[in-house]
Amino acid sequence: MSGETNHSLAMASPTSIIPRLSTLLLGVLGVDLPAALVILLSLTIGLLMVMVFRYTSDQKAIRLAKNQLKAHLLAVRLFQDQLPVVLSSYGSILRCTGRYLQLAFKPLLIVALPLTFLIVQLDRYLGWTPLPPGQAFLLKARATSPDAVNELSLRLPPEMSTTAPAVHVPAENEVVWRVVAEKNGEYNVIIGVAGRTLAKRVVVSSGLSRISPIRLQGRFWQRIFVSGEPALPENSPVQSVEVGYPSREIKFMGFEWNWIWLFFLLSLVAGFVFKSVLRIEI
Amino acid sequence: MKVPAASFATNLRQRRLLSVCLVVIGLVLLFPLRSEAYAGPGAGFAVLSSFWTLFVAFLYSAYAFLTWPFRHLFRWLRHRQAYGKAQIKRAVILGFDGMDPELAARFIAEGKLPNLAKLRDQGTFRKLRTTFPPISPVAWSTFMTGVNPGKHNIYDFLARDLNTYLPFLSSAEIKGPKQTLKIGKYTIPLGKPEIKGMRRGTPFWHWLGKAGIFCSVIRVPVTFPPEKFPGVLLSGMCVPDLKGSQGTFCFCTTRNSSQKFREGGVRIPIERNGSALHSYIPGPEDPLAESSGSELRVDFEIRPDGAKNQARITVGAESFTLKVGEYSEWVPIKFSAGLGFNARGICRFYLKQLSPEVEVYVTPVNIDPGRPDLPISHPVTYSIYLSKLFGPYATLGLAEDTWALNEEVLDDQAFLAQCYSNHDDRERMLFDALEKTRQGLCTCVFDTTDRVQHMFWRYLEEDHPAARGVPREQRPNVIEDLYRRMDALIGRVMKQIDQHTLLLVVSDHGFKSFARCVNLNAWLHQNGYLALKPEKTESGDWFEDVDWSRTTAYTLGLNGLYLNIKGRERHGIVEPGEKAEALKKELRKKLDGLVDPASSRVGITGIFDCDATYAGPYVDNAPDLIVGYGDGFRASWDSVMGKVTTKIFEDNLKAWSGDHCIDPRLVPGVLFSNFKIADEKPAIVDVAPTLLKLFGIRLPAHLDGKSWAVTTV
Repeated sequence: MSGETNHSLAMASPTSIIPRLSTLLLGVLGVDLPAALVILLSLTIGLLMVMVFRYTSDQKAIRLAKNQLKAHLLAVRLFQDQLPVVLSSYGSILRCTGRYLQLAFKPLLIVALPLTFLIVQLDRYLGWTPLPPGQAFLLKARATSPDAVNELSLRLPPEMSTTAPAVHVPAENEVVWRVVAEKNGEYNVIIGVAGRTLAKRVVVSSGLSRISPIRLQGRFWQRIFVSGEPALPENSPVQSVEVGYPSREIKFMGFEWNWIWLFFLLSLVAGFVFKSVLRIEI
Repeated sequence: MKVPAASFATNLRQRRLLSVCLVVIGLVLLFPLRSEAYAGPGAGFAVLSSFWTLFVAFLYSAYAFLTWPFRHLFRWLRHRQAYGKAQIKRAVILGFDGMDPELAARFIAEGKLPNLAKLRDQGTFRKLRTTFPPISPVAWSTFMTGVNPGKHNIYDFLARDLNTYLPFLSSAEIKGPKQTLKIGKYTIPLGKPEIKGMRRGTPFWHWLGKAGIFCSVIRVPVTFPPEKFPGVLLSGMCVPDLKGSQGTFCFCTTRNSSQKFREGGVRIPIERNGSALHSYIPGPEDPLAESSGSELRVDFEIRPDGAKNQARITVGAESFTLKVGEYSEWVPIKFSAGLGFNARGICRFYLKQLSPEVEVYVTPVNIDPGRPDLPISHPVTYSIYLSKLFGPYATLGLAEDTWALNEEVLDDQAFLAQCYSNHDDRERMLFDALEKTRQGLCTCVFDTTDRVQHMFWRYLEEDHPAARGVPREQRPNVIEDLYRRMDALIGRVMKQIDQHTLLLVVSDHGFKSFARCVNLNAWLHQNGYLALKPEKTESGDWFEDVDWSRTTAYTLGLNGLYLNIKGRERHGIVEPGEKAEALKKELRKKLDGLVDPASSRVGITGIFDCDATYAGPYVDNAPDLIVGYGDGFRASWDSVMGKVTTKIFEDNLKAWSGDHCIDPRLVPGVLFSNFKIADEKPAIVDVAPTLLKLFGIRLPAHLDGKSWAVTTV
């Protein structure tokens, strides 16, 4: 049998003193580690982004465009009894909005591209929670053809076991296994097909870990955004192998948040604060 | 078998993240708008701002659209007279403060003013009778109210306090808040400053507004504080600066001098500190200070670069580079008093020189129109609207710094640059108002004509004392250029209006030379009407050494002559009634026709009794006599400030070399119109009733003016 080997990458959860201390401190503050990370990241990135915006944009032109926008808004109010003026002002508002967005384009591009990739990387840590030991999860392999589906097999490390027979979904070319891990660690599960083997990393932990929920074949951009593992070989009959990690919800201000929305909100607030303090026109 | 839910969730999540990220990339490249929602703060702001703006605009517009029929119906029910009897749907009034009919006629005859010539030929050109006295706040008050000064209460820029004989601004009074809270060393004001308008009478645009006719009124003098009416208004002449004065410039210099400016400015030292220089801008009084006289200030730094003949100036968060002879843009200034009390204004810097001394002129700190600490428009948002649309602009009533040129802090070119910069702002405001006022009244007053003629008349005359020795070829045609510029403006306005729109070009007065100063207080002293304290031959400013117990008459301001009436003035000695009348008669007889011995010309061509000149409820506040100086004369700088000197007549050596505060009969204004006006002797008091009648409004009975017979198209 050729291919990737089945070896356990059992890894203990963080044992260093700093994470423990920080966990303790955050516990006292009533914030868990992911929430604290999101808050810290949001503030830092909020500050960085407004600074980048400041130095990559034409601040004077943006101020002018925004002032024009406000002026036309005021015109709608001031001359509200004169319908032609209101209509004309509304047209000007649209025009000025276009101009403003045009001015914001370059700094947005500079800001958005690295931030997009940063968000993707952060999502590896914050988007999902690792699998807890003893809790069953689904492992799904998708083949490239219906013939290959019947040949798919699963080999697990000793710390893991299946809890139900494999389920074949011919319509989707998929096989789904229900698996459980006994203890924390990072493992490779092996999918065998047509004499070849493919590994998929599975993280079992109660802490914050880098998680790749899916391993994919080809599809460069898709892999960039959703997978944190090397591509499956091009000639492999397996298209994807996916582990059903639970989504992470972050508790903040009495609500459960998807981290991206929390990050968006907090970084926005931080940005607004910093832009006012630093007198940056956005 | 069912596919487990967890798989769906994972799938969904993958798809969501994938699509989010792809959308970010795609939209970042194509449309910045949506991508911002995912790209964090920098982008989020843009999308939120744009969205918010569009959302608010949409709400406003939806509101305007949806309620328009109801509001229209309401207005129709309430103002069904609006335009019902109107002969015109739109009127545009251009006020050119001080435009002189003789100069205009001369330049027209020389073919230099084609648009005014067109108005004259196709419509009307007349001299417009002005007010007694012919001073801008008086005349424009009459213009807007249609009444004589006895009914609007404005007789001069200044009025006098009957208790102290000290002057105060006649148009508005600004007081601190009524209540304060004293905590330790702080006196915290509770509430806003109290601003009281002193002008009485109702501007005609209030009548028009009430009838449902929209009005845009820009920079008409004596409209501060702005009054509520259905329209928009930006206040003009008499709006104070942030110090509460009518304009106090700041001259920062490394030159040692203890000399003070007579008025209108302060000299501030520049301190050297290594390669940088430091100075400050004095601001308003500290509102928290226990005692008055504690002034707020804003420091600034100058870093000269002699090699490039420029300097970097840093004030607050603003930093800019100026070349010698260059003005800055308007710079926001914040005076902080502590406890969150701030006063915000705007000013411009002018780098006068770097060598041998460093000298920086700073304009008076204007009220910031974008964040006005005092109301300068109605509604308040109108000044903000203009500021957002065109950028910051001068809000001070007397925005062109004539004092700085008089005191030779600015030269001719720097002064003109300032004037025309302000003028350009006004033009932009006018054309915006024209665009917004497609029906109704649009009126705008330009001060440039007044200020430039005041300061450059000296070049029109061969032997003006203020320009003696300046060869003819070195005398710029400033006034001719001014008239050409105003003519061009009229041309552009004419292109914006149709033939059914009434266009009036009016001025409040004309202009004459101011070559000789008359110190009427000196004359009164030398003729026994005004007494000084023992052993004094001259007084200080504001009657400092006057013995009121022996004084029967005094003059203050530009044209007013007052009797020291018993029971009216605090130290009055002249019995009211017959004795006062007799004294008036005596003074009229002696002063009328007063001859300047040096030039043998008549310095005073008329003395007018206010009892015969004015009628109305505020006549008691009027001077007792109005002095009409002759052509070439005016009240001296000292006399205006209540100073008694030994000389009655003297040369005027100041750049302020033309004036109009003389005999009103000598300085009528102009009236141009695109419509034929039949009246041969129109007066400025007639403008209001004429406009009301043309818009079909019944004339209020108290108006003094008469409506003109206008032939509309």
